[in-house]
Amino acid sequence: MKTILVIEDGDEYEKFARLFLEDHAVIHAAHSMEEAHLLMKELKVDAFLIDLRFDRARDSQLVGGVEETATRVFSGDIGLAVKYLKDNQGTLILKEIREAGHHQRAVFVHEFAPRVLDNLRRLYGEVVAISSFDAEAIRLALEL
Amino acid sequence: MLLAACTFAGCGSSETVLEWDRAQEMWNQRDDLAYQAWMELDEDSDEGKEARRRIAAADPHYKAGIDLIKDGDFESAIDKLWEGAEIAPIDPAYYVDIARVYSQRGFTNIAADYYMKAISSLPESDAAKVAREEYEALGIGSNPGLRSVFSPKSEISRYNSSEGGLGDSLGLFLAFAAGLLVAAGAFLAGWMRRSPGVSLSRLIDEAPEFHSAIAYLIGSVRHELLKHRMGAISDVIKTLRTGEGSASQLKFLRDRLYGGVPIWEAWSAQKNAFARALGSRLNLSKDAAFKTADQAFDRIADLQEEIAGGGPEVAARLVSAHERLREFDRHLAEQQTRLVRTRVDRELLEHVVEEVGGEYAVSSVRLDELAVVPVEAEIHIEVPREDLVLILKNLLRNAIMVVARDEGMRRVMFSVSLGLEPTGQEVVNIGLKDSGEAVLDVRDLSGSGKGTGLKLVSTAVRRYGGVMDVVGLKEPYRKEVIVRFFRVFEE
Repeated sequence: MKTILVIEDGDEYEKFARLFLEDHAVIHAAHSMEEAHLLMKELKVDAFLIDLRFDRARDSQLVGGVEETATRVFSGDIGLAVKYLKDNQGTLILKEIREAGHHQRAVFVHEFAPRVLDNLRRLYGEVVAISSFDAEAIRLALEL
Repeated sequence: MLLAACTFAGCGSSETVLEWDRAQEMWNQRDDLAYQAWMELDEDSDEGKEARRRIAAADPHYKAGIDLIKDGDFESAIDKLWEGAEIAPIDPAYYVDIARVYSQRGFTNIAADYYMKAISSLPESDAAKVAREEYEALGIGSNPGLRSVFSPKSEISRYNSSEGGLGDSLGLFLAFAAGLLVAAGAFLAGWMRRSPGVSLSRLIDEAPEFHSAIAYLIGSVRHELLKHRMGAISDVIKTLRTGEGSASQLKFLRDRLYGGVPIWEAWSAQKNAFARALGSRLNLSKDAAFKTADQAFDRIADLQEEIAGGGPEVAARLVSAHERLREFDRHLAEQQTRLVRTRVDRELLEHVVEEVGGEYAVSSVRLDELAVVPVEAEIHIEVPREDLVLILKNLLRNAIMVVARDEGMRRVMFSVSLGLEPTGQEVVNIGLKDSGEAVLDVRDLSGSGKGTGLKLVSTAVRRYGGVMDVVGLKEPYRKEVIVRFFRVFEE
């Protein structure tokens, strides 16, 4: 059976995965990049299911570099940078995952603009986006 | 007992502090009632004193702006009025002055708009009475009017509305109001407060400066509520309806709808976010799609008990509400495609150069180089073209006037570049390099540094979700002022 690592700030993805995917895969969940790193060390993960927005994450948990993002994109505005990082946290977590040497398929449940999805694939390899919580589509995307 | 709370103005009651916060937010949202809210703060409180001090400080800027309108110098007037708006709300009595000037200059639609603002800002004031009388004397034509940067959230091109022009609606309003004034003055005030505002769909037509905020708000509703909560139960409803559902699936459905913050409360919070961000220009009770969504969420709330106590078969009762919300999601997706987009290309930049080059002060400056270097890619950003042109004209004018002070080579370069972010999104940098020796710091754009006039441009850029930045450069250029927006794509 395949192993799926769910990464999110709440527990909605995990509950969904346990309900609809557990017959096809072993489900593990991480709620921060730190937890994800620990689980990636312990497990042989076959695919990632990643939430995009991390509204509930503490600022200190965000990956992507608040100050660096504020300087690079938002003319030093920390508030705008935090909001942006929270809104797009899943993609930045994927960046860290790839930098840690894990290149398995990553699945998002989000309607990215086609160009943005192309960019994500250029940056991070195997990335699949499903537009809604359609269990069958997510199963296929995760190759279960 | 009220708790003590401290702000920059000192310590006051938490109630007054909250009122002050609300009053400031009202002005941020260009709520017509902002001035009234500021003036209603207890004048003995620190907050009330601060509000009055700022209103007094803003007053000379507004007066100067109105004088400039009288002189026909609209562009300088906009700057002056913006300076006032940065400090405090305008006294609505001035709207009548502005309306008169526009009326005298033949801009009757704009005049009508300002009369309307005077009426809705302080409905029972003498100024409102005068506004009503003078409005009646106006003949409202079909002149699309000018767009003023001052009071941008209220001075929108209602002239293009597909739901009836300002003239029609105001005419009806005046007829109605006249009767009500005789019969029920108190009711009139309430009616006037409730009446403003249009549906989201109409606001998208009328108020391009809200599009950036609308894009974010719609994105949040669709992502958080319609996809993550309603969307996630689609499969469960499907399964439960066939009778093959399990207890765990029913629990999942209950959790998603009624667990934590119940879904109708989350919906209410989302609607509040719309109201906070878009202010009195939006009236969701006039939006048919939102009303349908309201009914669907009400239905879900009504079914809570039944679903909590029932078996899998009760999920079928949710089908119609679920379907309505799917339809609502499709409607919102359609609204997203209507948000204004402007192509940033060579033609746009050359238009800006041509316009600024034709200005008297600029045309007298001898430049050694004025280069335009756009990228070839098809780039769109969520800013109305005419406002983007205004922003870029200000930047270019500023750059030219800066290099004009130098004796050496005078170079200015307009360029557009793209940056790929690790999120997969792309940023569009529209940059103006200049060889001027004058040092510029990013703080000069926010108002904390020396005044440059760019602060006003920065405010306009931020209204559309962008930022301004300054980068120091080596010769032949000294610095680059950049306006940065996220690139949007045709879906």
